[in-house]
Amino acid sequence: MVRFKHRYLLCELVSEDPRCRACLEERVLFGLVRDAIARAHGAFGAAACAVAFTVKYLNAYTGVVLLRCRKEFYQLLWSALPFITHLENKGQRYPCFFNTLHVGGTIRTCQKFLIQYNRRQLLILLQNCPDGEERESIRKSVMSCSLEEPQEDQLSESGSEEDATEME
Amino acid sequence: MKHLSKNKLPSPATFERIVYKNPSEYHYMKVQLEFQDHGFRLTDAQFKQLIVLALRDLFGEVGAALPFDVLTYEEKTLSAILRICSSGLVKLWSSLTLLGSYQNKKCAFRVMQVSPFLLALSGNSREFILEE
Repeated sequence: MVRFKHRYLLCELVSEDPRCRACLEERVLFGLVRDAIARAHGAFGAAACAVAFTVKYLNAYTGVVLLRCRKEFYQLLWSALPFITHLENKGQRYPCFFNTLHVGGTIRTCQKFLIQYNRRQLLILLQNCPDGEERESIRKSVMSCSLEEPQEDQLSESGSEEDATEME
Repeated sequence: MKHLSKNKLPSPATFERIVYKNPSEYHYMKVQLEFQDHGFRLTDAQFKQLIVLALRDLFGEVGAALPFDVLTYEEKTLSAILRICSSGLVKLWSSLTLLGSYQNKKCAFRVMQVSPFLLALSGNSREFILEE
């Protein structure tokens, strides 16, 4: 089988300032990551990762980012992510850092992981949240996603077989 | 017909062969720096800084942190012997090749010899003079 294989890095943008995630854009992130790789790995790293580098998915509310790069050079990209310390947009500079959650060979595996991760995060939020309206709304969303579990399990089982063949 | 199981053959002598893919951890390079204007001189610290600059250009901070040593340096001829661990040889050699200028002066690295053994750099058949 001759095809270009990629690695998808699922990352989370963590920052103290809530405005930081709101000004997250694809172009801003693209330039930021490319500069970080150029600083960390030089001309060679910048060129190697820039061949098939794209921001595939971006969620401004949760700060989840999906980056894609070639399989041979994903370690260059992965090792350059901790060197990103600030997000600059329209003259505003926010300190932040990238937390890599998952590395997958296909978008589908990353999506499955993200669904499980979000489910776990909701439970953690429910524990940390004090009593009140927020707690009620979180509890409702937890109940709604857990009721659909049997259906989603069937879908994920059939999806995982396809992923096993897609990976290699 | 006697059954031969009573006369057992002696167990074969254990034979062990150890093969080293690369017996030396380090590679040694004999290089010479050439400037376009021949009167330029560098101290040994500036020479090492120049090589680190070349590595940083091509391979970034990770490449600039590659541990290499300048074992000998001659200021007159600007030639030196470098030592690098074998995994970093390709990175060092390629960054030396692609270095074009230093402080806006054109320069080039000429690589004379590369060997995993330092002893091999003591003699060079190209510069060998037969004495009679």
